[in-house]
Amino acid sequence: MSKVALSGNASGTGTFTIASPNSNTDRTLTLPDATGTVQVSGNPISGTTASFSGDVTLGSSVLATPSGSAPSYLCRAWVNFNGTGTVAIRASGNVSSITDNGTGDYTVNFTAAMSDANYSFAANGSTPGVTNLYTISPLSASPTTSAFRFGTAASSNGVLTDASQASVTIFR
Amino acid sequence: MNQRIIYPTDDGGVAVIVPAECGLTIEEIAAKDVPAGKPFKIVDVSDIPTDRTFRNAWEYA
Repeated sequence: MSKVALSGNASGTGTFTIASPNSNTDRTLTLPDATGTVQVSGNPISGTTASFSGDVTLGSSVLATPSGSAPSYLCRAWVNFNGTGTVAIRASGNVSSITDNGTGDYTVNFTAAMSDANYSFAANGSTPGVTNLYTISPLSASPTTSAFRFGTAASSNGVLTDASQASVTIFR
Repeated sequence: MNQRIIYPTDDGGVAVIVPAECGLTIEEIAAKDVPAGKPFKIVDVSDIPTDRTFRNAWEYA
């Protein structure tokens, strides 16, 4: 039978207490068969890479365990907005605003800046059933760490045209 | 937000900033997203025309 040893620290003076929760159910706390330090709430894991063999739940979102060995990267910023009529943002993440610069000309402003301007972007604009559009990105200015400007143009003549379904995603 | 931020563009037009629900106030967004040195105004969304036929002819006033 393996054993459990509790050892104090000769240099410290504090008293560590193992306390039971208010419960009527028997529980067993099984320690991992490994050497290390058990992390608790309020003391985040740092300095190491945490590995999970199953899905990870963050709030209400579940990050599925990817297959293959290629690393996966998360989106740094995204926005979906209506660029026609009363221009309005439908939903977004890490976007503080969009700037309507003119017809079919938009800037996405990031809440938290990117580490540099070498990020990957995907911009899309369309107006279903009305106009075939293509996206010009970046438009008239190089991407910056704080903003990304793009345009939507009619495929028939290349003229900038408003898009009712416009979206941008940023990866870095 | 039912407000917008407007500022004049270098070519004589006007840019309209549409704030996102990002936890910042519209004043904080204006301070961050209006180009440095540009004057700006915070207006109600109802003050912005919805007919964008001549959008590039809009002027800052």
